[in-house]
Amino acid sequence: MDVFLTSPWIPAEWVRAHGLQPRGIWSAENFQPGTWPLSAGVCAFAEATVRFAEALTDSAVIFPTACDQLRRGFDAVILRGQRRIFLFNLPATWQTASAGQIFRSELERLGQFLLAIGGRSPSPEVLRQEMVQSGGRRKQLLESAPASSPRGLAEAVARFHWDGAFSPPPLAAPANQIPLALVGGPFLAPHWKLLDEIEAAGGRVALNATETGERSLCPAFELDAAPGNPFDVLVQGCFDNIVDVFQRPNTRLYSWLKPRLASRHVRGIVLWHFTGCDLWRAEAQTLRETFGLPVLLLEAGGEPGAAPRELNRLQAFVETLR
Amino acid sequence: MNTSPRKLNLDEWDGRYEQLRRDGLREPGYGGPLRRHVVRENDFRLEQLQFDSSPASLRLWNFLLTENERLRQARANGDKIVGTMKDLGTVPVMAYALPGVRAFYPDGAWWTPCLMECSDRLLQQAEAMGIDASFCPVRAMLPAFENGEHFPKPDLLVCSTGAVCDDFSAIAQRLEHRGHPIFWWEIPRRRQPASGELACALPGNLAAPTIQVDCVRAELQRIGNALGELAGRTLDDGGLAAGIRTANQVRRLLDTLRRTVYSAPAAPLPALEMLVAEMLAIHFCSDREETVAVLEDLLAEVQSRVRQNQFVIGADAVRIFWVNPVADLRAMNLLEELGGRICGSDYMFTHALDLIPENLPPLEALARTALADPMVGPTADRAARIVRECQAGRAEALVVSRIPGASHCAREGEIILEIVRREIGIPAIELEIPPVCDAMLATLGSRLQALVEIARSKNKAKS
Repeated sequence: MDVFLTSPWIPAEWVRAHGLQPRGIWSAENFQPGTWPLSAGVCAFAEATVRFAEALTDSAVIFPTACDQLRRGFDAVILRGQRRIFLFNLPATWQTASAGQIFRSELERLGQFLLAIGGRSPSPEVLRQEMVQSGGRRKQLLESAPASSPRGLAEAVARFHWDGAFSPPPLAAPANQIPLALVGGPFLAPHWKLLDEIEAAGGRVALNATETGERSLCPAFELDAAPGNPFDVLVQGCFDNIVDVFQRPNTRLYSWLKPRLASRHVRGIVLWHFTGCDLWRAEAQTLRETFGLPVLLLEAGGEPGAAPRELNRLQAFVETLR
Repeated sequence: MNTSPRKLNLDEWDGRYEQLRRDGLREPGYGGPLRRHVVRENDFRLEQLQFDSSPASLRLWNFLLTENERLRQARANGDKIVGTMKDLGTVPVMAYALPGVRAFYPDGAWWTPCLMECSDRLLQQAEAMGIDASFCPVRAMLPAFENGEHFPKPDLLVCSTGAVCDDFSAIAQRLEHRGHPIFWWEIPRRRQPASGELACALPGNLAAPTIQVDCVRAELQRIGNALGELAGRTLDDGGLAAGIRTANQVRRLLDTLRRTVYSAPAAPLPALEMLVAEMLAIHFCSDREETVAVLEDLLAEVQSRVRQNQFVIGADAVRIFWVNPVADLRAMNLLEELGGRICGSDYMFTHALDLIPENLPPLEALARTALADPMVGPTADRAARIVRECQAGRAEALVVSRIPGASHCAREGEIILEIVRREIGIPAIELEIPPVCDAMLATLGSRLQALVEIARSKNKAKS
């Protein structure tokens, strides 16, 4: 059975160890943000997740509590009678033992849910094997990221989130383009055209820090240092490596960005967000102030790439950085 | 002079105040004519409001509108000031358990643009700080922190995070980035205990898994330590228990007031004063003892009116249950002008109205109370309480008031409306009320009027 994950911080390894197939919802064919009529203030990504979950008959969807929109989207799906859904409580704080305890207990609870929908109880060996495999692939993807073509990397990360496979991203063609960082929420296949549009405008995404980019590959497992129960390593390796805007304080996000922006000589930030996403929109000014870089807000629309007006803004943004 | 209960505008209150003074009105130190808040504080919105005519209501308004002044005085007297954000009702109970500590909600600045009719330009300043009109009006607190012209800068700033509104969380994060350190504490999204899982009963007929209560209790312990450090003394169980007893005294008074007003054959107190009174529960308007006195006064007035069959709204008014606080206080007047009256409310802090258990260790009791917050649990839980209270209050219609830009409003309204319609079938609408709703009055009015008319016609059809 497919189990669709809507956050990169809910470990796919845990689902796979239960004998079920984790799928990053971002890559699902019939996941279509931007195609639904939206009530005022509703995030298109959350709405698409709700519609997707409501329509499912033979799969499950795991929602995170990371934002109000998805949290309440879960409430809406429950109201329609869909029962094969699960709300995973991702703590916003990260400095305390009780936050770690919440994360751990949520993974245990998710395990119970997976058993209830037909999964099998994972043995430590199976879990360890899954973690070794996925940990290795994450590492490969992260190592190849700086030299990869932006679109190739987006595709490779999407593939990893879809079926756990590693497909080496092609190298970036050498060109004298302006290095940019793409920072923000989910960046889906229909949006990848934006990467081409950035290149056509004279820029290049040197750092894809969206929810479906390099940032999503942060979980890392130190299995060699802990020969005991791999579950403890899973908990720690995921919880300690969440890098996201919803965390409070969200200093981890900034600590993660800082060396990467510097090492890749980034000259501007494109802040990618869905309409109604307060968490990302509110960071625009802080990103400017923290890194001293120009920031362009781009809103995810229904059409592939950027809408004409947004494209115009993007072109002007890159031009000003020349 | 007509002294029967009625609603007065500010001009009429000027005369009423003079008369009361001539008749020997005795007021607390923060007392005075309402007009002075317009003159001194630029609270221009008062000129557009209708107020209850009682001295008890005058005291309520003066108490509310002098909060910043009283906080500054407390600071000058050596008190420590705690800014507590988002949890709406729990952390202040802990803070006031320590002598010399006062807690207030900077969140309350969301009403400043309304009261000052945006003359303060807080919303524009927030935009310049990166938080534009797509966010909830609570963004007003961001510049209010920086310009220091509203509330004093707190000695400690505490904010709940986790299952809270995105816009609030984002604004608070922005605040921290601008140099205001925040003590973050986790409030997990409340869930139903699973079958066989250890569970705890919460106030408000709710339940949560013990593991969540344990987490919140640990978080409150951290806050207690920080508060103790600020106060220079340990916040012990004895002090906390006493703090809970006093908080419950306020909650009992409010419960009696709400039941008396909402169940009366006609409204003995207007909706606006009831909204303000209910708000006192969350942090005692920065003075716990005075809150008790203000509410006792108000309750005595209401009970006296009910005994004498004196009401401010006629018995033919349609009984309306109201969900969420209004960004513009004028909306509460509008509802009554159009033939409605409030018979129940959920202003997002019902957990601050429920009694805190006194038979549990204090932190455990407070953790359970914090988890009973309607905003941290499933929307269906909130809707279920609304349904129960609509039934208890014989509501004939329901209004969900949207807060512009608030992340929870994007979806919760439709869920609540769907559940209410399905369960009790009363007419229900959603309205969005901006901080100054004058430009929207016609639209809001026609929607409210339609609601009132439909509720009336349904009543006629029944009878």
